[in-house]
Amino acid sequence: MGGIRALLLVACALMPQLSLSATSSHAQGIPQNISRKELLILENPEGTIKNAGWFNIWAINAGSQSNGLQQVALDTLWYIDPESGLDGVWDNSLAADKPQYNADFTEMTVKLRKGIFWSDGIEFTADDVVSTVTTQTKNPGMRFSAVLASNVASIDAPDPHTVVFKLKKPNSRFHANFTVRWGAVWILPKHVFEKVEDPAKFDFNKPVSLGAYVLNSYDPDGKWYIWQLRDDWQRTTLGRYGKPGPKYLAYIDPGPPDKRVIAQLNHELDVIHDVAPEGMFALAKQSKVTRAWFKGFPYGHPDPTLPAVIFNAQNDLFKNPDVRWALALLIDIKAVSMAAYRGAATISAIGVPPTGAHPATYHQPMEEWLKGFEIDTGKRKIKPYDPMIGKQIAEMLRPSMGEQIPSDPAEIARAFGMGWWKVDPQAAQELLEKAGFTKRGGAWTTPDGKPFTVRVMVEGDLRPVMTRAGTMIVQLWKQAGIDARIDVAQGTLPTRRAAGDFDTFIGWSVETWGGHPDLSYFLDSWHSQFVAEPGKSQPLRNWQRWSNPALDKIIESIRTVGFDDPKSIELGKDYIKLAVKEMPTIPLMAYNVFTAMDQTYWTGFPTSENPYTNPVPNWGNSRYMLVRLKPVN
Amino acid sequence: MASLGQPVASVRTPRSGILGTPMSGYFAYIGRRLAQFVLVVFIGINLAYVITHATPIDPVEQSISAVTSFGNTAPDAIEQMRTSLRELYGLGGSPVEQYLAFWKRILRADFGPSMSAFPTPVATLIGRALPWTAGLLAVSTIVAWGLGSLLGGLAGYYQKSRGLKLMGVIAMGLHPIPYYILALVLLIVFGFLWPVLPITGGSAMNLPQTLTFDFVASVLQHAILPALSLILIGVGSWFLGMRALVSNVVTEDYVVYAELAGVRPWRVLSLYVMRNALPPQLTGLAISLGGIFNGAVITEKVFGYPGVGSLLVDAVYAGDYGLVLGVTTVSILGVSCGVLVIDLLYPLLDPRVRVS
Repeated sequence: MGGIRALLLVACALMPQLSLSATSSHAQGIPQNISRKELLILENPEGTIKNAGWFNIWAINAGSQSNGLQQVALDTLWYIDPESGLDGVWDNSLAADKPQYNADFTEMTVKLRKGIFWSDGIEFTADDVVSTVTTQTKNPGMRFSAVLASNVASIDAPDPHTVVFKLKKPNSRFHANFTVRWGAVWILPKHVFEKVEDPAKFDFNKPVSLGAYVLNSYDPDGKWYIWQLRDDWQRTTLGRYGKPGPKYLAYIDPGPPDKRVIAQLNHELDVIHDVAPEGMFALAKQSKVTRAWFKGFPYGHPDPTLPAVIFNAQNDLFKNPDVRWALALLIDIKAVSMAAYRGAATISAIGVPPTGAHPATYHQPMEEWLKGFEIDTGKRKIKPYDPMIGKQIAEMLRPSMGEQIPSDPAEIARAFGMGWWKVDPQAAQELLEKAGFTKRGGAWTTPDGKPFTVRVMVEGDLRPVMTRAGTMIVQLWKQAGIDARIDVAQGTLPTRRAAGDFDTFIGWSVETWGGHPDLSYFLDSWHSQFVAEPGKSQPLRNWQRWSNPALDKIIESIRTVGFDDPKSIELGKDYIKLAVKEMPTIPLMAYNVFTAMDQTYWTGFPTSENPYTNPVPNWGNSRYMLVRLKPVN
Repeated sequence: MASLGQPVASVRTPRSGILGTPMSGYFAYIGRRLAQFVLVVFIGINLAYVITHATPIDPVEQSISAVTSFGNTAPDAIEQMRTSLRELYGLGGSPVEQYLAFWKRILRADFGPSMSAFPTPVATLIGRALPWTAGLLAVSTIVAWGLGSLLGGLAGYYQKSRGLKLMGVIAMGLHPIPYYILALVLLIVFGFLWPVLPITGGSAMNLPQTLTFDFVASVLQHAILPALSLILIGVGSWFLGMRALVSNVVTEDYVVYAELAGVRPWRVLSLYVMRNALPPQLTGLAISLGGIFNGAVITEKVFGYPGVGSLLVDAVYAGDYGLVLGVTTVSILGVSCGVLVIDLLYPLLDPRVRVS
């Protein structure tokens, strides 16, 4: 009994303390000993980092990247903003100017910015850039070793602020490796790594920063990282744009989507990276201070990524463009948009994401060509493009969403996209018949008499929005008599995608800079020289394994013109026309990211009205947001 | 048969061991059980090895996908990366060579490096996660077991008590609720509607993990919701199990005889009824305690609690079979040890069990 009494005494002593602290704000996931007014809390979508104390981003897949490390602690030569940028899309970051190539693109000279310092007081110089390249080419197991080793013949620093890359082969886009879209080859500190025996096994803890923030503390269990503004932030490249607003940044793992919503409603998570559409709708309804990219519907930020139905072009069934077109004409994009995003999607009929600079560069100028585009079904010619589908989606949503749906046609096009392909089962039937398929008893059979079976691979609950889109497409194809089946790959998708073990899958093989019209970011990898033999692993991004001599010609032409050369836009349009004719993938929509920003403590977030950068907080570019954020009084 | 006053303790004598069984027989029993233990562990680890190596997920492809999914990596560099990673992860050699290398490492208690957190050793990752899992699950399992067994025992003995009948109704009501529903309800009630408890993490942010009052209080506070969810679900099943066992025991002759002989009710309940009903519950407890090394995936996910369960799930998705094998080996050892311990203790706890 004495023991029980003692336990009760301890419990009585502890309970008030626990309940007292439980009712304080600290109980709810706010960092201790940091003023909330100085703190911005952002989601790290990588979740819980199992190797939390690892900051060597140059080692492959060893630790977290978007725990603040690449956003605020590291830096590289250039940034291209997926939106309009603080001072234009292109930002010379550590470089003082744009890259200078020689005539045949075998040499790239870079002038570096002066007066930039590492957080330990050492000045950033050309030696750091040289060390970044040589350290990785000497250690094949590092993150950027392969790409640097396959490109760089030699690198020299003729003076502390000039670097000359001599390339192994002409490459007019070599600078892209040192240009941040989401990430890039980050510059490492020579004075730290030169003392390390094995750079691939060095944890770089505590990291020395080249960005405006230094590591304050982190959770050994990988749930949170706190970064603190450098006292000498003016000596970083971000300093050109003024003092960043938040003194502290916490990149946290807030848990599953419902908990993210709760955390933001409790004002304990300022920036949600992404939630399900339903979570975004709940936030919009329940919180007056939550802001998304669009002020109203469809809320989400369209990433420069293009989810599509990706065919395996090495599968005999999908080698014929008529079959691919027939399947496209059986898809009702409005139904897919509703199923995937509950209508909050930005559709695209062409092989370029409808975001950033692309609508003005590609979608709008090609509208007339699309309207006049014809396909031959074997029995007649049809014009499959319907320019009104974006508007139809907006009208379909208006009764339920009311004033949130814009009325201005330009606004509608920006939010919901422009046109897409008409649903045309008759034309699809004619195209399949033209390809030798037959319909017996309501079910399609292939030219060799087997049932026309199409598996649509999706990632399941790992990527629910894409899974919903795939499920709807399967239903639509089934209704037309195709034996379509959903194929939930879960975590095996990357392995199966690389191995070509799929009929079709919902994913993307198109990613662009967004803010810059050059398409080589993804298009170069579509050259037939990179298409793997059946059964062998396919390198990114031509997962469809589609090759075409006309495409090769376009890509080879792009390689010979400069990054900013207007000719590359014309060549980009040639690619789009070819992709429309051949339909190697069926483009669906932009990858909309429902980034939700709570304006209780901070204001000035990037939005569609003020698109100075991408708000999605795991992107390297999101650092630009910090200099525009102001505390709310 | 045990004498009524001292139903268990009086049957043991130094010479006869357990109920007349010579001590040498007990040692032989221990030897057999230890041999079974080694065999079970050996088979279990081998099965885990085969299953993890049969996974369709290729750790190299997963790593490449993670590295390149956002980057601008030229296709011709990918093949070089593949080759480097295969060397780095030690995926060379024939299957037999890999199997032998695996057992050499296991016998040295070395699981090798994690492929999804290379080059950090698997043992380091498990060592970091295990204390959280063990702490949360051990406490909640023992509390749920203790509460459930005690209340179940009382409910089985005092069958006319209204309060205990109500407990039975509550236990039967809680027991079938899917765990994740209960966890979400707790999360919404105490994290949103009445936000008084933390809903994520193992301790407060920016609080050093040192043995200070603040840290310990923070850990306890963060464990309240996950532990409560586990206890609420767990206590029901222990309650129902114990009540059923006690309901059978109370009808035994020796219980009726003891009551007629005027033995005090509390003594009858504790020494005649509960003690004889406990062994099956103890077996369940031992297996549950052994199973804590599996982690509690849903609890960890819902409450953002650190632990082995999430580590295991992430490792499966990443194709990190070194880490999967590490966690499953620890789990196999945990469950096997739990069962071994209870097997060895059983003859000591229950005099009706003969070891020969």
